[in-house]
Amino acid sequence: MPATPPDFLVLEHVAKAFGSFVALKDVSLSVRPGELVCFLGPSGCGKTTLLRIIAGLEVQSAGRLVQAGRDISLLPPMDRDYGIVFQSYALFPNLTVADNVAYGLVNRRVARAERRARVAELLALVGLPDAGPKFPAQLSGGEQQRVAIARAIATSPGLMLLDEPLSALDARVRVRLRGEIRGLQQRLGITTILVTHDQEEALSMADRIVVMNHGAIEQIGTPLEIYRDPATPFVADFVGKTNLLPARRVDETTILVGERRFACDADAAMAAAVALQVFFRPEDVLVRGVDDATPNGVAGTVDKVEFLGAQSRLTLRVEGIPQALFADLSVNDLSALRLGPGDALRIAIPAERMRIFAASAA
Amino acid sequence: MTDTVPSSLAPGSPQLFGRVYLPRLRLHGSDRVAHALLVAAGLALAVFLLAPLAMILVKSAQDRAGEFAGLANFVAYFRTPALARSIWNSAWVSALVTALTIPLAFTFAYALTRSCMGYKALLRNVALVPILAPSLLAAISFIFWFGNQGLLKPLLGEGQIYGAPGIVISLVFATFPHALMILVTALSLTDARLYEAADALGTGRARRFWTITLPGAKYGLISAAMVVFTYSLSDFGIPKVIGGGFNMLATDIFKLVIGQQDFAKGAVVAIILLAPVGVTWLVDGWVQRRQSALLSARSVPYVPRRSKGFDRAMAAYCWLMAALMLAVLGMAVYASFVRLWPYDFTLSLGHYRMGLVEAGIFPSYLNSVTMALWCASLGTVFVFVTAYVLEKTRGLDAWRPFVRLAAVLPMGVPGMVLGLGYIFFFVENSNPLHALYGSMAILVVCTTVHYYTTSHLTALTALKQLDNEFEAVSASLRVAFWRTFAKVTVPVCLPAILEISRYLFVNAMTTVSAVMFLYSPDTVVASVAIVNLDEAGDIGAAAAMATLIVATSALVCALYHVLQVWLDRRTQAWRRS
Repeated sequence: MPATPPDFLVLEHVAKAFGSFVALKDVSLSVRPGELVCFLGPSGCGKTTLLRIIAGLEVQSAGRLVQAGRDISLLPPMDRDYGIVFQSYALFPNLTVADNVAYGLVNRRVARAERRARVAELLALVGLPDAGPKFPAQLSGGEQQRVAIARAIATSPGLMLLDEPLSALDARVRVRLRGEIRGLQQRLGITTILVTHDQEEALSMADRIVVMNHGAIEQIGTPLEIYRDPATPFVADFVGKTNLLPARRVDETTILVGERRFACDADAAMAAAVALQVFFRPEDVLVRGVDDATPNGVAGTVDKVEFLGAQSRLTLRVEGIPQALFADLSVNDLSALRLGPGDALRIAIPAERMRIFAASAA
Repeated sequence: MTDTVPSSLAPGSPQLFGRVYLPRLRLHGSDRVAHALLVAAGLALAVFLLAPLAMILVKSAQDRAGEFAGLANFVAYFRTPALARSIWNSAWVSALVTALTIPLAFTFAYALTRSCMGYKALLRNVALVPILAPSLLAAISFIFWFGNQGLLKPLLGEGQIYGAPGIVISLVFATFPHALMILVTALSLTDARLYEAADALGTGRARRFWTITLPGAKYGLISAAMVVFTYSLSDFGIPKVIGGGFNMLATDIFKLVIGQQDFAKGAVVAIILLAPVGVTWLVDGWVQRRQSALLSARSVPYVPRRSKGFDRAMAAYCWLMAALMLAVLGMAVYASFVRLWPYDFTLSLGHYRMGLVEAGIFPSYLNSVTMALWCASLGTVFVFVTAYVLEKTRGLDAWRPFVRLAAVLPMGVPGMVLGLGYIFFFVENSNPLHALYGSMAILVVCTTVHYYTTSHLTALTALKQLDNEFEAVSASLRVAFWRTFAKVTVPVCLPAILEISRYLFVNAMTTVSAVMFLYSPDTVVASVAIVNLDEAGDIGAAAAMATLIVATSALVCALYHVLQVWLDRRTQAWRRS
């Protein structure tokens, strides 16, 4: 394993209360240099508050922040080192795009010619080489967003903070800009924190994701870890489509869902509790080639077929299980099986794809 | 670093040495500048608003020797039947004016917003003309129409214009535009979708009016009624000029303080005057909060449809009202040129030349212009900078609510009361600011404070439309707030800043009440000169001075308008969205 470089940004036991409302409780995490970390969670989970604390726009009630080896806990925003892009972009409407981008440079006694060259370079970098003389209102939402990024990185800050940068854009632009921002971030190698409530955005852009709920961190991990190995039922439920069903422990490798028995891999949660929750992804449910000999097989009835493009989602009823189950299958499988509502179908849930939680954790 | 929160400090138990430990960011130099500005603004409002008002309370509880007298002054006041009657007079006159003005203004506003009559902009501007004049002008004009030597005196028969009738009709004229502006706003806030729904359900015109229009304008009506009532209660110029022997609270203050030097009783009247005005002010604040929730971003503006009979009726009404307005204004202008009313109706500049210039009264007009220019420049700067640091900078959280409250308080303080407080406070030799007494500066300060709230709210509205994160972005780029203020905030808010400046200029030109107590022989202003000329019986010269004020206000408004149009044109590139 290569030696890990020292962490660029470290948060230790950060907490924030607004009056009696606790917005953040004991948040600790570290960000490596050049990494893109996403704060992901539903609205009100504290992710934006955490970003604003890092920016010095809010003050933590307790805890400590260290950036590049320097304790920044109590530094005013102007003494910190970051560029920020807000959801609204906050472009200055009466200044041209070039003046917006140059806004932070003017103050640093950069020679005019050098400044002009830097602005041109930045605008080229974000793919708007000709936008300089225009005003923000003359640009599309996506273009304004890129200008805001150019302005934020103009002074070469050590850290870039993005607060829901894509949520004001329509779906197609959003998908395109995801890739562009990620590409730019990797080319510049700038350490970046991105706040979002959109799990797809987090999964596709982040090196690591910090999943937050009710002011606390639920899990920190790579997108794959978060998706495959959710640490809590909340993460399992929030990221991706999920089957999350109540279950009971029978023995170390057997659980009971409704009246159905399933074999599963031994899990720490199973030793600790009798009341459990079982989690598996719709795409992990086997729908083709399942016969009576397939382990963990059950007979079900198709309730609904939802066409989602490349994939389709089946809603299934299984006798003995009160909840509906979801299973995904490809278009090819769907046409091969010719399924419709009311059809009988045998499915199986591979033991190694099931994840077990103690029910009290929910 | 010693002032960092110890990381061992467990969240949830932020107790250190027995008290709650809340970390604060260290202050950047620019934060200190912002805090200094905010403290200075708050102190200025404390000294020039709160301290004078407090002095009124103090004086009301002191006897002539300055000893504490408890409620003795109040008891003495209510035992004087002539004085106590003024309360009743003020109350019923104000109520009557409100009852007359609101329906008149509502109909006019309804015509402007809900009919398809022509010349709406012209009619609206004519209806707003009274704002350009001191309230005295209406009284002077009605004297020329209906006074002892008035043109239409015979119409009154045995009746008299002097006293309550003249006061009421003059106040209706003076308050009409104030009510109109509020009601036009209230009526244009209505959501067209409500009317579409009503049409779809086959609702008749009358039922639509009672079930949609009136409830929708409810808060506007309450607010307008409050404004009219308060204005009538606290106006000084009109009862002074046309009141005759009819006493009201505002004129009582003046007589008690200037005529009888009875400061204690003056203070008592001031407090009586503050009470109802304070109530209406609270109600108005409540109404404003309700009103803002009425219109959602998704509302569809109402567009009136043609309806011949209705449009004609509305047009007829509006032209009639406009004609009456112009008749009032025109009479004062006309009379100012008449050589010797009512004997010689030939036109001349006599009142201007002899009555004003040669009588040495003309400098008061120049004083007014000087004062208005100071208010429009320095006053505007103070208002806008204060609103900016209040709204857009951070820290000093305990101090901000105080400044906010002080900024909206002046709306509830009648000019006479403010002026009286200024005398009490600044006349004391022990006050280090005593030197201001009798100076032009105190007139400028008092007038700016008197009209502070509306200016402040205009500034706030404009600032709230700016993205809240401009300052945060600037800080992240290490640009101090004053640079962003100069490069972004001021250019973007320029229309609002001009509006504040225009508002302060016009009000400084026309105000009578507060400055009535504060002028010295060197700083007589035009509106005060009108009162003095009228008292001396030189009503022709008074009309001439009033005409000068109206002409100046109108000219300045026109200049501001030109400036505004020019700015719009220059900045349209970035305003186009």
